[in-house]
Amino acid sequence: MRRRRPSESVNIIVCVKQIPDPETPAASFKVDEAAKKVIPAQGIAPVVNPFDPQATEAALRLRDAAGEGKVTVISLGPDSARDAIKHALAMGADEGVLLNDPSFEGIDNFQTAVALAKAIQKIGAFDLILMGRSAADWDMGVVPAGVGQLLGVPVVTVAKAIERNGGAVKVDRVLDDGFQTVETPLPAVVSVSNEFGEPRYPQLRQIMLAAKKTVQVWGAADIGMAADELGASGRWLPLDALYVPKVESNVEIIEGETPEEKARNLAQKLRAAKLI
Amino acid sequence: MEFNEAHHMFRKTVRDFVEKEINPHADEWEKAAIFPGHELFKKLGDLGMLGLEYEPQYSGGGVDHSYTMIFAEELGRADVGGIPMAITVQTDMATPALAKWGSHELKMEYLAPACRGEKICGIAVTEPDAGSDVAGLKTTARRDGDDYIINGRKIFITNSIQADFLVVLARTSDEGGYKGMSLIVVPTDRPGFQVIRKLDKMGNHCSDTGELAFDDVRVPVTNRIGPEGRGFQLQMQQFQKERMIAVYTAVGAMTRAIERTVAYLKQRQAFGQPLINNQYIQYTLAELVTEIEALRYLGHACCEQIVRGEDVTRLATMAKLKAGRMGRRVADQCLQFHGGVGYMDDMWTSRYFRDSRLASIGGGADEVMLRILTGMEGFQA
Repeated sequence: MRRRRPSESVNIIVCVKQIPDPETPAASFKVDEAAKKVIPAQGIAPVVNPFDPQATEAALRLRDAAGEGKVTVISLGPDSARDAIKHALAMGADEGVLLNDPSFEGIDNFQTAVALAKAIQKIGAFDLILMGRSAADWDMGVVPAGVGQLLGVPVVTVAKAIERNGGAVKVDRVLDDGFQTVETPLPAVVSVSNEFGEPRYPQLRQIMLAAKKTVQVWGAADIGMAADELGASGRWLPLDALYVPKVESNVEIIEGETPEEKARNLAQKLRAAKLI
Repeated sequence: MEFNEAHHMFRKTVRDFVEKEINPHADEWEKAAIFPGHELFKKLGDLGMLGLEYEPQYSGGGVDHSYTMIFAEELGRADVGGIPMAITVQTDMATPALAKWGSHELKMEYLAPACRGEKICGIAVTEPDAGSDVAGLKTTARRDGDDYIINGRKIFITNSIQADFLVVLARTSDEGGYKGMSLIVVPTDRPGFQVIRKLDKMGNHCSDTGELAFDDVRVPVTNRIGPEGRGFQLQMQQFQKERMIAVYTAVGAMTRAIERTVAYLKQRQAFGQPLINNQYIQYTLAELVTEIEALRYLGHACCEQIVRGEDVTRLATMAKLKAGRMGRRVADQCLQFHGGVGYMDDMWTSRYFRDSRLASIGGGADEVMLRILTGMEGFQA
C-alpha cells in the first residue's frame, strides 16, 4: 500500500452506503425469513445512509480548507447505490467508485470492510478515510474499525469535529457522557457523527457537473477478492435468523374517583408487578 | 417527457430543502403572517435556485424550463402555500421580462442580486380598479428629462412588504387600452413609495401582500424594461410563466395532499375497519389521482413547448384553468375525508383548503382563462 506523505493537499476517501429508508412505516417493513433478507418496501426508494452526507461534508470542508486535494467516494452495493455516490458528487466530491458484483449479495459488515479496504488499496494514496458513524440499516458501526485494522492505520470513531494540522488530525469525539479530543497521525480512518452539523445541499451547478461525471464500477475480481471471501457462505458472522419481532401491548385503564386515587391504584399495580 | 439523472438529483435537492428549511417553520410563519424573506431567499440563491433559466452572467443557472417545472412541483409540496408563491413570484413572475428584455446594466443591478437571493422583488400590475382586465390600469409614469415620475395605486402585490424592488406596469403615454404601457423597475427605497397597508388574506398568510402607493416616485428612464409602450405585451408573455408555475405547484400540492390523505385513511378506523377500505372513498381517490396525473402530463406538454421555444398560450391557459379547479376539488375532498379533524384550523387540510383557493383567481381568474380559450378556439359565430 502506498501512503501519501502528508502535504497541504489532502486526499480523502469517503465510504457511503445506500440503505432502505429509515422513515419507512413499520407496516411496510417486511423480511423474507426463509431467505433471511429484507424485502424492499414497495414505492419507497432507498436513501443515502443519514450519517454519510456528514462524512462527505467533513471531507469537503477539509479539502477546501487545504486549498487543494481530492475527495473520492466509494460505495458497495447494487446498481442503485450509484445514486448515493452521485449525491456525494453533487455535494462537491471529485470522483466515485461503485463496488458492484453479484457475489457481494448477502455479505456481512466484515466482508464489506475487506472489500472497501481492497478498493482503497487499489485507489492508492490517501490521507484520510471518512465514513458515517454507522449505517442506519444494521446499525453495527464496525466497518470503520474493520477498514482501519485491515489497512493498518489508526481509527477514530464518532467525530463531531475534525481539524487537520499538517500530518495529523485533531478529532472531537462524542462520548455517552461528554466529549473527548484526540489527535492522530495521518493516514487514518475517522467515522463522523450527526453532531458534526448539517451537510450542505447540492448546488445546481454541482448537480449539473455530477450528472456528467462517470462512476467507475469495480467487481470482486477488480479488487482482488477471492471467491471464498465472498457471498453469504463467506460471512464472518453467520446469520441464523432474520425476523421482525412481534410487539405486543396490553392496555389497562386505571380506575379511580380522583387523580390521587388513580395514582395510588397505579402505584399498587406497579408494585404488584415488582416494577417499583 | 424524459427526465435524466440531473433532473432526479435536482428534484431530490429541492424536496430536501422544502422538508428541512420550509416545512419545520410553516406554522410559525403562518401565525406571524410573514416569513424571513431575505434569509430564506439567500439560502435558495446560494444553491442557484432563484434564476434557473437565466444567464450565468447574471447569476442564473443557465438550464432549461424543465428544471423550473421540477422546482415548482417540489415547492408545491411545502406545508404552506405562501412560501412557494413568494419564491416563484420572484423567480418566474417578476423577473422573466427583466431577464429577456432588460438592459445589461439593469440586469446587473437587479436581476443578478435577485438570482443570488440578495434582493426580493415583486410584480406590481393589479390596481384597485384593474385586475384581470389589465387594460384598465391607471398608474402613470410621466417622462421628466431622464426620469419617469410614477403615480398610482397597486393592490394585492405579493412580496411587497419585504421587496427591495418592484417591476411596475404603468402608463407611459395617454393612448389608453392595451397601448402605451411600460414595465419599469422601481426600487422600494425611493421617496414617494409607500406600503399603505399589509393585507389580510383568506389563506397564504405567511406571504406578505400589500397595497401600495406611488406618489411622484422618480426612477431613471433606464429602469424601463424593453421598448417604451410595449409593457402590456411583455407582461402578457410574463403571464404565461406565471400560469405554468401555478400549474406545477398545484400538481405538487395535490399529489402531496392525496398522499397525506391516503396515509390518514389507512390508519383511521371507522365501523371496524380502516376508512380507506370504503369503496366510495377508494373510487373517489382513484378519480382524483387520474385527474391529477392528467394535469401533470398536460404540464409536461406545456413544459416541452416552452423548452422548444413554441407558443404555449393555448395549453397553458387550459392547464391553468384546470389547476385552479382541480386544486379546489382536491382540497375539499381531502378535508371531507378527514372529517371533523380536517376542519380544525391547525390541520393541514384547513390551510390547504384556504391556500389552494387562490389558484382560480391569481395569475388570471378562471373566467379569464375561459375567455381566452373561447377566443382561441373560435367559439363565436
